Amino acid sequence: MKILTTVKKVVDVELNIHVKDGAIVEDGLQYVINAWDENGVETAVQLKEDSGAETTLVSIGGGDNTDVIRRCYAMGIESGMHIDDPALEKADAFIYARVLQKVFEAGDYDLVITGKQAQDTDNGQTGIILAEYLGLPCVSNVIGIEVLDDKHLKVSRSGDAGTEIVALELPAVVTVDVSINEPRLPQMRGLMMAKKKAIEKMDLTALGTSADEIGCAAPKSEIVAFMATEKRSGGRKFEGDAAEITARVVDLLANEAKVL
Amino acid sequence: MAKVLVVAEIKQGVLKGSTAELLSKAKAIGAQTAVVAIGSDIESLLPDLVGAGADQQYIADDARLALFSAGPFAACVVDAARQFDADQVWFGFSESSKAVAPRVAAQLDAACATEITDVMFEQGHIEVIRPAITNKVLQRVRINTERMVAVVRAGAFAADPELAGSENVVRLAPPPADLKAVIKELVSEAGSEIDLADADIVVSVGRGARNQDGVELVKALAEELNAGFGASRAMVDAGFMAHNKQVGQTGKIVAPTLYMAIGISGAIQHLAGMNGSKVILAVNKDPEAPIFNVADYGIVGDLFEVVPILRQEIKKIRS
Repeated sequence: MKILTTVKKVVDVELNIHVKDGAIVEDGLQYVINAWDENGVETAVQLKEDSGAETTLVSIGGGDNTDVIRRCYAMGIESGMHIDDPALEKADAFIYARVLQKVFEAGDYDLVITGKQAQDTDNGQTGIILAEYLGLPCVSNVIGIEVLDDKHLKVSRSGDAGTEIVALELPAVVTVDVSINEPRLPQMRGLMMAKKKAIEKMDLTALGTSADEIGCAAPKSEIVAFMATEKRSGGRKFEGDAAEITARVVDLLANEAKVL
Repeated sequence: MAKVLVVAEIKQGVLKGSTAELLSKAKAIGAQTAVVAIGSDIESLLPDLVGAGADQQYIADDARLALFSAGPFAACVVDAARQFDADQVWFGFSESSKAVAPRVAAQLDAACATEITDVMFEQGHIEVIRPAITNKVLQRVRINTERMVAVVRAGAFAADPELAGSENVVRLAPPPADLKAVIKELVSEAGSEIDLADADIVVSVGRGARNQDGVELVKALAEELNAGFGASRAMVDAGFMAHNKQVGQTGKIVAPTLYMAIGISGAIQHLAGMNGSKVILAVNKDPEAPIFNVADYGIVGDLFEVVPILRQEIKKIRS
């Protein structure tokens, strides 16, 4: 089984993010591997260890992605490519999916694994649109994968009414949720070894396509401005005798907030 | 005039409130509206579908649609969108919607915007507002295509109680099955439990509960309030709660009228899942816990002591 897994470098959401004049203040931001993609990488590596799958990683955009890709190598991914091109600056999910389509078609893959969304846009679209473009079956929000044979997986996804069990025929696309696994921490030795591994760097031309073919000039949607979210401020905090303050708060919930 | 197709949200045979909310918003912006309902044995929902306020109802009712499968569901939405000539397709916020909306957008060559909280018709184009980066910022997004598919965040639009629809039913042909991704079974942990996504009150339990006894104590409070029962990630990771009960950035996003965070410290990850709630109550023994920075009402105390009193006092006030 040949697996293609996608990794996006995104802003670290653990840090504060400020908005000024409709844009995000770049100063002080740090970048990390998208959390859901990290689960996708772990999924791919487990399939390599348990079922002998070959693992390839692709990362699109994001400038210098060396650290992110090396981290995935240290986790056990065998080869990786980084596609970046100035034409991708305003890429939406459809454009990312078109680029991934080109990568897929050049590689004879059986399974594409993506995180279910990226924590910078929180869109949750790219993997699903890629499957549409490729005409492949797709299961999103996947929380478990079992290999049945070379051509079939048993996949579970977290749905609205419980866990949905799906028989999936390869080639296919899955997008994974964080609850699928606990990504391993790369070890020092793995990180050292990762430094020696090559990262294939490509622009759209090297990928065998062009900005025109991908439709880079015409994103279906584009962000025109960022705004700060309305900050919630803390209200009243009560300390002291538990019986007294709890009774007081229940009264406030019922008679002031009118929500009980 | 814009034409908006709303995808009806049906759970366990019941039409959910988001359908009327989305139709109300569509009507408020002067659009012509239709609703598409997909499922098995849903004929009896017709009065509710008309009542939700659409001018037209598309119904795909087939035994093979009893279990959710993104491919066939998307095919039904696309069929209805083409027949109605919709320029907008709106979904309520659910896992099924998130799986179907991008497919529909790709098939209609439309833009796709998820988790929107508002939609504006500017001169000649549409703009939407949506949270991003774990709820830390809002994006204003310009839609460059004529058609848009959107998933609307829970609680973004209010239902207009005066809104009335008219009965114009179109029955859709059953869609082809997805032979390469076949839904085999639904393992339901939820059953009769209150759905977190549309509960009026949500009670969530965190690390402060320490053990199963703590979890049961908080669960009893949730049950008495007829509330959805959720958890912080720590409780899910520790195996006390099922993963589909996790409230937070990587779990469920909820926006109830009242959110009770019991023994939850308030990590950014968790706040992202509940800071759209109308009123937040926090119970935590650490007075410095970040949850108090977002809570409207905070009780500093150990939940093992506070929750029993809370249950008692709520019973008193409700009787």
